[in-house]
Parts: sequence; C-alpha cells; structure tokens
Amino acid sequence: MGHSDAASPASAAAARDAKKKRGNRTAAKLKQSKLETRREQWLSGQGKDGKETKVAALPTGAGSNAGSPILASPHPPLPRRRADTRSRGSDPEDREEAAAATLEVGGSDLDSPMHSPVSDKSQGGGCAQRKGFSGNGGGPSLSSGSSVWSSSRSVSDAEEDHTGCPEDESEVLDDWEAAADALYDDDSHCHQSSVPTTPPPAPTNAAPANAARPEPIRSKARAWAPDDIFRPQSLPSISKQASFPASIGNCWAGMGMSAAQQGILSLPLSCPICYEDLDPTDSSFLPCPCGFHLCLFCHNRILEADGRCPGCRKQYNTVPAAEGGGGPRATMIGREMANIAPVRLSRSCSMGPRY
Amino acid sequence: MQASRARLFKEYKEVQREKSADPDIQLICDDSNIFKWTALIKGPSETPFEGGVFQLAFSIPEQYPLLPPQVRFLTKIFHPNVHFKTGEICLDILKNAWSPAWTLQSVCRAIIALMAHPEPDSPLNCDSGNLLRSGDIRGYQSMARMYTRLAAMPKKG
Repeated sequence: MGHSDAASPASAAAARDAKKKRGNRTAAKLKQSKLETRREQWLSGQGKDGKETKVAALPTGAGSNAGSPILASPHPPLPRRRADTRSRGSDPEDREEAAAATLEVGGSDLDSPMHSPVSDKSQGGGCAQRKGFSGNGGGPSLSSGSSVWSSSRSVSDAEEDHTGCPEDESEVLDDWEAAADALYDDDSHCHQSSVPTTPPPAPTNAAPANAARPEPIRSKARAWAPDDIFRPQSLPSISKQASFPASIGNCWAGMGMSAAQQGILSLPLSCPICYEDLDPTDSSFLPCPCGFHLCLFCHNRILEADGRCPGCRKQYNTVPAAEGGGGPRATMIGREMANIAPVRLSRSCSMGPRY
Repeated sequence: MQASRARLFKEYKEVQREKSADPDIQLICDDSNIFKWTALIKGPSETPFEGGVFQLAFSIPEQYPLLPPQVRFLTKIFHPNVHFKTGEICLDILKNAWSPAWTLQSVCRAIIALMAHPEPDSPLNCDSGNLLRSGDIRGYQSMARMYTRLAAMPKKG
C-alpha cells in the first residue's frame, strides 16, 4: 500500500504537468484524459470534489477492476487501440502520448482500488451535493475546467469500451453489484462526514465490492453517446467541443442548421468594428434588419454614442424604442432569440455554464 | 481608448499584409504614435489630378472608430471640397455620415472618389466651386491641373 501511495501522486503530478504544458490544445488525448480522470477521482476522494467525481468515476470501471488482476489486463490494450484509431489524422505526437499514457495507466491501476471506495462514497452522496462540492478541491481543481472537457470525452470512451467488451466483467461484477448497492445505501447515509479524511485502508473485501460500484453508476450518471436519446439536450456534443474554436460552421452543422443559415452565420469571422473574433453569441446577434454583424461590445458602445447601425447608418433603437427605453440591447437580444431557431437557443443556453 | 488602439493596430497589420492590394494608396503609420497616420494617394486618372501624388494627414481620435478620423490634405490641391489653405476636406463620411465600419483604407478610397467627383454645391474652395457651378469645366480643369503640377508632381530639373 505504501508503494501505491507514493506511485499515485507521482503519476498525478505527471498528469497535471502534462496537462498544463499542453494548455488548451484540443486534439484528442484519450489516454491523457483517462489519466486525468483517474487523478481527479483520487483527489476527489480527499477534496470531496463530487462534481468531478460524477464524471471521473466512470472510467473506474476499467481502472478499479485492477482489484482483481484478471480483469485489469484486458482493458488497457483496448483503449490504446481506440486511441490510435482516433488520433489518426491528428499529429503523430498524440499517438505517442497515447501509448505512453497507456503505460502510465497500467501503473496507476495499482492504486485505484485504494481510492475508488472514497470516490464511490462521495458519489453516493447523491446529486444534491454535487453542486456544492464543485470547487472544493482547492489546488487540484485548478485544472478542473479543462478536465471536465477531457473527462467528458473519456467518459463516452469508457462507455464505448464497456460496450465493446462487457462480457469481461459482467459475470464477476454481478454479485459485487448487489453487495455494492447495499454498501452504497449505507455509505450515502453514514459515511458522508468521514469521506474527506480518508485515504481508506481498502481491506480486501471492501475493495472489490467498491470496485464494482461504477457498474450501476454507469447506468445512472453515465456519459451519453452522441446519439443517445436520453442524452440531455443542453449537453454540448463532444465533436462540437473539439471543433469549437476551429470552425464554427461544423458546430452549426452538428446542431442541424441548414446550409443557408450556416452561410449567413459563419460569414463574418471577426467584428468589422473592433476586428476581434466573433464568438457564436456575437455571430447569431443581428441587431439591425440590414444584417450587419458586429460584436456585442461594439454594439453597446455604439448605442452609448449615436446609436446608428454601421452598416446602414439607421438608428438602432427605432424599433425597440416602442418597447421602452429600458434596455434596447436586451430587448433586441430577446427579439433575436425569439426569431432564431430553437436549436440555437438551446445551444446558447448550454454555452452559459461553460464559461 | 484601448479599443481604438487595438483596432488601429489591426488596421496597421492589415495594411502591412496587403501592401500591394491598392496601388493607389499607401498608408503609413507614424513611428511613435499610432493615432497619427500619413497617406499617399495617386490622383485618379482622367481627372486634372492624374499623375499627382497627394499627401494626406490622418489624426485619429481616441473614440475611433466611433468617431471619424480627421483627414486633411498636406499637398495643395485645387478642388471645390478641399480648403485651399488648410487642406480640410468636406466629405460626408468624415462628418455625419461616418460609420465605424469604415477604415483608414476605405477613407482613402472615398477621398480618391471625391477627387474624381467633386461636389460644387458644398464648396470649401469657393473659386473652384464657382468655376464648376458656372459650367466652366475647362477653367476648373486647367486650374486644377496647374496646381497638381505645381504641388503634387516631382519637380523637374
């Protein structure tokens, strides 16, 4: 146990460093994110960072099976293969990293049974507390913003992996599941207070039982496949995240926008006034019937000045003036939102919490 | 103010990138002050200004692009809408018809267009305006050409 104690912070630190170095590169780093989720899962055990746990616990299915050595082996090679197929077309460096990360995952599998009970317990805390937990991680949660992205990716991968080879674990896990469900109920009531202090002893019966926990969770708080009908509408699709900065057009395509709409929306890439890049909110913001695009900042500045559209030089607020002078900008956004397709509305809603 | 600086910097980069985009316009930013620009424009062909190179001075307000840049001719020009002494330009887009969507480059184009199509009904140079309004096209053209030769062309010999 002492060995794995030492090993896991090391790998965690390595993961963190690597994460920072890469910054916000959006290329798929499957194995890296897996490592990341593992690290967070470990951290969430101590920091009680339940929000991350919700997502992070899912790959545990692969990792925590290391409690039984037979199961540990089939998993790492499989994701690696996936990572390779996935990263084809991106730079070869990714593939290298993926392979390297696989090795690391193999190493850190050792410690996962130790911490998986904790995260499972904090998960047992239920959805109500997840919100409250977020951000409690302190230092470790520095990278939480990015890790949510990456882990949400890896979650779906984990699920794919799961569907790829369910027979590996199912028979073994079945009775664990029952035991774990019982534990789960107990834990959710009793163990809440004790969670933060635990680097748990992980006795041999507890570890397997808890290792099985992710199985029922997977059916509840699982990640959604892109075509899953139960997937919440507000959840942004992974492909959208990957392509978001690069090409807005793809996003619209993903949202089922028609080609004509895409043409209109993706035409100006930067605000003609300040020359800053238009974000999707700006791109869908049409304050004037003449169709002149500009960013919200510039629009606001113009309203504070002479209030004329730069495109047609007509007064912006001639129409909203009838609706009261309170907030011409807000009313215009409101009108804009009412006019546009509901798809886009839901999208801009989903953008909200992300930033 | 920060916005105007950022925007001017972007315009500067744009100008550097497309230096050869418009051969009639050369925009130069002051070395030490991004709010001071100089432009060299070629007189449009088939006008009395053909063959001349006219120097413009841009003074850009801090509220740019919400407010228009102040532009004036440094080169003497005989044109109804340009003040003969100060070089002040009477052009609607530099006053009430300004739009933040305009750039320094497009202002230069507008001035070239104004040189080709004078508006004698709102003259700053009354002599020039009166020549045009009285229909003395030949008089106007010869005066304009003379001043182009005098002021906007390299001295010969």
